[in-house]
Amino acid sequence: MAIARRKIKSFGAAQSPLLGAAMFSPAVLYILLLVAGPFFLAIFYAFSDARIGNTELHYVGLENFRSILQSPSFRVAIRNSLIFTICSQIVVIVGANILAIALEQPFRGRGFIRFLILLPWVAPIALGAIGWKWILDSIYSVISWVLVALHFYKPFNAPMWLGEPHLAIASVLLVHSWRLMPFSTVILLAGRTAIPKDIPEAAAVDGAGFWRTQLQIVIPMMRPILSVAVLFGLIFTFTDMTVVYILTAGGPFDSTQTLPSLAFALGIQGSDLAAGAAISLFLVPLLVIIAYFMLRVAHRAEVT
Amino acid sequence: MGRKNDQGLSRRDFIKLSGSGAFALGANSGPFFLFPERAAAEQKTLKILQWSHFVPAYDTWFDGTFCKQWGQKNNTNVIVDHINLVDLPAKAASEASAQKGHDLFMLLSPPAAYEKQTIDMAHVYQEVEKKHGKKIDLAHKSTYNPKTKRYFAFSDAYTPDPGNWHKDWWTEAGFPNGPDTWEELRVGAKKIRDKTGHPCGLGLSQELDTSMAMRALLWSFGGAEQDEAGNVTINSKETMEALKYMKALYQESETPEVFTWTPPSNNQAMLAGRVSYVANAISITRQSEREHLPIDAKIMVSRALKGPARRIAAEHVMDCYVIWDFAENKDGAQQFLIDYIDAFHDGFAAGQFYNFPCFPSTVPNLKQEIANDPRANPPDKYKVLGDVLDWATNIGYPGYGTAAIDEAFKAWIIPTMFAKVARGDETPENAAKAAEEEYKRIFARWK
Repeated sequence: MAIARRKIKSFGAAQSPLLGAAMFSPAVLYILLLVAGPFFLAIFYAFSDARIGNTELHYVGLENFRSILQSPSFRVAIRNSLIFTICSQIVVIVGANILAIALEQPFRGRGFIRFLILLPWVAPIALGAIGWKWILDSIYSVISWVLVALHFYKPFNAPMWLGEPHLAIASVLLVHSWRLMPFSTVILLAGRTAIPKDIPEAAAVDGAGFWRTQLQIVIPMMRPILSVAVLFGLIFTFTDMTVVYILTAGGPFDSTQTLPSLAFALGIQGSDLAAGAAISLFLVPLLVIIAYFMLRVAHRAEVT
Repeated sequence: MGRKNDQGLSRRDFIKLSGSGAFALGANSGPFFLFPERAAAEQKTLKILQWSHFVPAYDTWFDGTFCKQWGQKNNTNVIVDHINLVDLPAKAASEASAQKGHDLFMLLSPPAAYEKQTIDMAHVYQEVEKKHGKKIDLAHKSTYNPKTKRYFAFSDAYTPDPGNWHKDWWTEAGFPNGPDTWEELRVGAKKIRDKTGHPCGLGLSQELDTSMAMRALLWSFGGAEQDEAGNVTINSKETMEALKYMKALYQESETPEVFTWTPPSNNQAMLAGRVSYVANAISITRQSEREHLPIDAKIMVSRALKGPARRIAAEHVMDCYVIWDFAENKDGAQQFLIDYIDAFHDGFAAGQFYNFPCFPSTVPNLKQEIANDPRANPPDKYKVLGDVLDWATNIGYPGYGTAAIDEAFKAWIIPTMFAKVARGDETPENAAKAAEEEYKRIFARWK
């Protein structure tokens, strides 16, 4: 019996490096083929004159970067990428905290409400964005219809949610926030549940009110999990092009373009692969910073 | 002795019967059964990709009748894939990059940028012209590269881009035959907007219909992206006038909804009874006829608007078939196109006159046919399209639809220029200058 156990143990030890490599290889392959490959191809294209339909490539140095830096659409895309990412995170974190506090308390129908809140996250984003497109449509918008029915606006003068640049930006922000709120809510809810009950209770005995308990005890204790929610949200929003592409296609006249949507519009739809690749490379610095912080958070969680 | 089964058939009889059946089956489908590889080699495959037609009856005829019959006749398995028109450029790009895809790929604007990846279509044109006479100039200018003297695509059909207007409102505004000039459009659209609230519906978005309507406006005022020799000419006083006109029309008669539009949006707005005028193909009226909408009798069709310089409009869509260099069945694809033109009249009828012929002899009585259409209300609704070749032209007019023009078209330079001026975000001078810089940058890359 003891011999058999030893054999199994030695077999496991001998096999573990191979087994580990085998189990690790799908992830490595995935990263190499679908992340590293396109990334290096984008770098290669960004310094070339690559265009769709062209069979030859020539090195053009920094010409593509010089060209896009002069483009007003690119400057708008950078601005929008930052606005959408930062503002949606502010809305999401504030909203998700409120929802988490509300959903923490037991009440009738809590399970159903939690299910409803989670729906935007589990539904495909393309489907959700198409739904919002119809809600905000210039002809069939249900919001405009209600506003006209309530006599806030005349029939042909209702707000064009996707036709006015500031309204279109607000609409994209709204959809990003709607999409990310459930994810953050679930994370924060889990974080709140993990806080030992005796700490806020002790604070209450010491006379701390609701806001003081939240701001000085609960939120600081949830900082690691809050960081995870924020970092994931930043990545999802900064790299997303589905919402903009479906909702506004970057319009009106490029006023809602983001870096990914502009890269697609110029690179794939506009045939200028080199410009598209150069624009997409501007995503890298911010994503590197976010990745650094994510790894730090993960490391801290590992240590503690 | 063989035992009879319940139906009175002995095992021996059964074996005999099944044996002779198998033999007969084998004799008929011998190659398939005995040499599947050889059989597969004998039956070829032709893969076609094209848009989901705005008149669905055309796709029914194309897939279910023409391709089926052609496949049987040529022992070819014809596979037709349809995708939304807005996805065509991205799909073409992916096939060209992957060097794999369909044998025949149809785009809706001159795809000159792909010239190096497509075969020369001169042979197809020659064969078709032997039977059906010369092609129209619009097809030549949309598919020919005068520098390389190659046809990078083959065009079977184009679609006119007329005006669609609401009869009641325009009659009340004093234009019972609808607007005939850009000036009349401005005056009439303002009257309708002021009186009824209904806006005018010329798009100002980064999409196909806007691209065509804004080019029509630009050319009508005497402006153009390039001259005949291919030099950039966008920054001209004619362009300024066209920009000023659009700004006035937008501010007097339109709403910001036009900045949000996709290709079907003006169809929806017209059919919903919201807008007084749009520039679009006859897909709007065909839909109202097909669905028996009450508004059908009120939507009328008119020729392209006349401007200070001329009456002119772009084709609404230009069928441009390319055969990739890497296509697996190049011969079959060429033969398919040659035979397709023989059957063009059937397609013209199935498409309910949406596709006009690039080889006029294939529809010899076009004027009479469109002047009396039992589906239309009134039956002569489409009669105005009889002289379409007098006012329809190609992308890149007065020059060719070159690779540079193709790239500029896909970069939405013209719609963006007009939209920015219309909203007052740019002066006409600055917008035209910015457009000129973009054009020059693109043209320099294709020299």
